[in-house]
Amino acid sequence: MNMTRRDFLKLCGAGTVVLSMGAKVAPQDWARVGASVPRPTRPSNGVLIDTTKCIGCQQCQIACQQSKNLPVDKTKRALCPVAPSVVKVANVSTDPDKPALKPVKWQCMNCVNPSCVSACTVGALQKRDDGPVVYDSNRCIGCRYCMYACPFGIPTFEWDKQLSLISKCDGCASRRDQGKLPACVEACPTKALTYGNRDELLTIANQRIYSGDGSYVRHIYGEHEVGGTTMLYLASVPFERLGFPTLPEVAPAEINAAIMHSTPTIAVGMALALSGIYWLIKRRDRLEAQLANNQNHNGGH
Amino acid sequence: MFPQDLIDGFIVLVMISGRIGFPIMLMLALGYWLQRGLRTEDQQPVLEPSRRVMPAWFRRIASEIESLPAWLPTIALVGLVGVVAMIYRLWVGLGAATNLNQAYPWGLWIGFDLFMVAFSGGAFTLATLVYIFQMHRFHAALRPTVLTGLLGYISVLVILMMDLGRWDRFYHFIIYPNINSALFEVSWCILLYTCVLVSEFSPVILEKFKWQRAVALIRKITIPLVIIGSTLSTLHQSSLGSLFVIMSERLHPLWYTPLIPVLFFVSSVAAGIAMVVAGATVSYWVFKRSLPQRLAGDLALFLPWVLGIYLTLKIGELLASGEIELIWTSGFYSVLFAAELVIGVLIPIVWFQFKRVLKSRTLSLVGAILVLAGIFLNRFDVAWFALKPVPGYTYFPSLAEILIQAGVIAGIILVYTLVGHYLPLFEGTITPEEEKRTRRVLAPSPAAE
Repeated sequence: MNMTRRDFLKLCGAGTVVLSMGAKVAPQDWARVGASVPRPTRPSNGVLIDTTKCIGCQQCQIACQQSKNLPVDKTKRALCPVAPSVVKVANVSTDPDKPALKPVKWQCMNCVNPSCVSACTVGALQKRDDGPVVYDSNRCIGCRYCMYACPFGIPTFEWDKQLSLISKCDGCASRRDQGKLPACVEACPTKALTYGNRDELLTIANQRIYSGDGSYVRHIYGEHEVGGTTMLYLASVPFERLGFPTLPEVAPAEINAAIMHSTPTIAVGMALALSGIYWLIKRRDRLEAQLANNQNHNGGH
Repeated sequence: MFPQDLIDGFIVLVMISGRIGFPIMLMLALGYWLQRGLRTEDQQPVLEPSRRVMPAWFRRIASEIESLPAWLPTIALVGLVGVVAMIYRLWVGLGAATNLNQAYPWGLWIGFDLFMVAFSGGAFTLATLVYIFQMHRFHAALRPTVLTGLLGYISVLVILMMDLGRWDRFYHFIIYPNINSALFEVSWCILLYTCVLVSEFSPVILEKFKWQRAVALIRKITIPLVIIGSTLSTLHQSSLGSLFVIMSERLHPLWYTPLIPVLFFVSSVAAGIAMVVAGATVSYWVFKRSLPQRLAGDLALFLPWVLGIYLTLKIGELLASGEIELIWTSGFYSVLFAAELVIGVLIPIVWFQFKRVLKSRTLSLVGAILVLAGIFLNRFDVAWFALKPVPGYTYFPSLAEILIQAGVIAGIILVYTLVGHYLPLFEGTITPEEEKRTRRVLAPSPAAE
């Protein structure tokens, strides 16, 4: 194989490019060195939702709409800008002839490591260290990246407006600041919703699962899903049948952060590689020209 | 199972091409008809006196328009309809103007953006080859390519603006940064890179107005400019892939991989080279000026290598993650995936091995179009077709979405043609006559007949 020095240099350049690209997908821990993952300074609070106690009265939905100054509308069964928290009805029966309907409260899961917060172009979505994922409507540009990023499909968009924004449950962050319970928790007549520290809620949930009559499935939805959520669910049927997505334990936000935080490395690496290649080829051409010039000179005598 | 999927896929393709193609064909036909009407009127001597009473500036404009390619008014009409559709979309809002919905918040426009950025990758690929690797023989292709890139990026910015719910706040990404967001990185890089492209292209305009000092200044900073531009391109070509890293739950596993930024970058290089090769032929036909085919062929020789790397990465990733069997077990998705790789990668790799292809403008164009079609399909798969369906939701672009899209593409063609007609875009390229002459010199004609 004939390889000139020029080819070799090209290969070197290509190699550098590939290597710097490789940094983008390097093992997460290595790339996360410089990453700023906020550590909670306050205990993360959340809500335990015991679907076995839910009677589907929609009091939580009404309280939510009232507290957010939205028109009260019990007919909404899917999340939308005027209903950040709804009571869905899931058919949990495996027999298509005998449907068994089960009410499930559904709202933002207020993840521990939320995908929407890392996706948001302008940082309008923020994770508060006491639990809720809050939304600043004055920043939002309506790009809808959060809607794709969310593994639960929570953020909704004001499709019917001229200038549209996102909407989602923020765990009643402002009510919590005033020392009040989230509106839905306060309104629930059957105590299906419990507000509290996430670790304590997990303890309560485990107690219900393991010390009761065994009517619960042995799974706290939200304990590990996508890195954990602060809204936790208990149920008496497998969660897939309630319409919950089956999700991995790794937060997509973590993989994303690893890739995004390698950006400066790639930028510097690429700029240096290109400058280096330019300099080397320039130098070689100059030396070659000199050599040719000298030979011509000598030949002339 | 497989044949049924194949049929389904075929029906979907026919429907898509029909529903998108029909309004565009209709508009082109209308434009052609209007234009023919104008032409015949022009030719009638009866109308000549009426023309004479027109003011001089009007007659000048009329004769200028006549000197432009005949199909240009049609394109301008499509562009105009697009502008009207844009005003409509901004007036009525996203929900009323588009078919985007809760499960498909992004659609045709994002697919186009992804493809257009890859397509415009020619600008940074060629600039790197010419200025950094100092392959000066490709210099003549630089200006047309940079212009294509620049127009591509501007069209992406226009479409992105249309896609924002609060388009009046488009500048927020500058004042409210979120360094974890791939879309934030993409927006910044595209903004900065568009500035770089404007500077790289500015000599064409400055030369026209003979501002030699400014030209000299730009020449001086060319190398740093190219280095910055190529670095920015590496970043945003790959970040467009990173956009989908966080969508692990939505994108089909055949396309989803943490490696997707690298795949996007490598395929953008391929798309960029294919764009230059295709552009050489098209400008040869339209402007009668072009890069010599010998050089276009040299460039095309890079394609099998880049596509080979792309194929290796794509298949290698599936092997490494143990998902290789998805290639033949995913039904409709298998068809899409196979179409993407066969049309855009496998056939071109073989195609560009033939000397005949490299020497022929038409055959090179066919190969380049195959590459572009494959990457086009890839970007639309990632942005639209390969998203896992959500029960109760479907998406197909609305008429307004299609008209805006067609209008923006028409705008690119219109501006490109005007620049090619009025500004020194094709410096250093050759005309068909020159090419024939050089060919005769290089390869003496066979013995006298």
